[in-house]
Amino acid sequence: MADAAATMEFERLLAPVLERAYGVALRLTRDPSDAEDLVQDAALLAFRGFGTFERGTNFKAWFLRILTNAFISARRKKRPEDEAVSLDAPPSAFMQHEARRLVGETARPKYEAAGDVVREVMARLDAEQVVAAIDALPEEFRVVSVLYFLEDQPYQDIAETLGIPVGTVRSRLHRGRALLQQRLWTTAVDAGIVGGAA
Amino acid sequence: MNRLTCEQTFAQLDDYLDRELTPVELEEVEQHLHLCDECAGEFRIEQEVLDDIRRKVRRIRLPAELMARISASLARL
Repeated sequence: MADAAATMEFERLLAPVLERAYGVALRLTRDPSDAEDLVQDAALLAFRGFGTFERGTNFKAWFLRILTNAFISARRKKRPEDEAVSLDAPPSAFMQHEARRLVGETARPKYEAAGDVVREVMARLDAEQVVAAIDALPEEFRVVSVLYFLEDQPYQDIAETLGIPVGTVRSRLHRGRALLQQRLWTTAVDAGIVGGAA
Repeated sequence: MNRLTCEQTFAQLDDYLDRELTPVELEEVEQHLHLCDECAGEFRIEQEVLDDIRRKVRRIRLPAELMARISASLARL
């Protein structure tokens, strides 16, 4: 039987961070039911280790670390060998890059015309399309991107959460962001929001 | 402090947006952005794209019964 005071304290700390934790779990698992299971598993793991939580420090960061690691270790069990991700890296600011090609010669400065195209694309892509583009990222890029976009975590915190070097976080995040923009642009082309490559 | 070219400034784009530059690097980039409308425009659009992605990805509806499910499983321990 769990200690009632500890349970109450744990639930009091968990309740306000649950929505964000579920959001992270949803983007990691890409399935609402799996996300609920992941949050629940993480809550049980966290409660069992609650004695190691240093009171007064950031409970959300502590809990998200447990949740993310629970996801990664469950994935490793299912898929012992990480599939090698070999992708050509699109350039940074991919959408502006493509938009510049699209606008061609204009009387206005090209960066302004391209900027308007990118703004139009982002205004017309809905949340579902943006989420689908994140979900389509290869896992190693998706995990860092989720922590970045949902949690605004600095590189150092993401590195600590995942137990990987800061430089790896930086390169995965930059590449993941370029890949994400590439997917968003493709979605916009497919949806007829912008014209495809000439 | 170095005066950056457009190319050198663009190479710092991601770290700038992520607030991961050192104070000296940040000053160098900001000095260039202050003088170069084109780079400043590009950086502004990238910031807007990131903010828009962040806003859209954060629309989350928490399943109403999740906290109750967790409480029930804790009570069973």
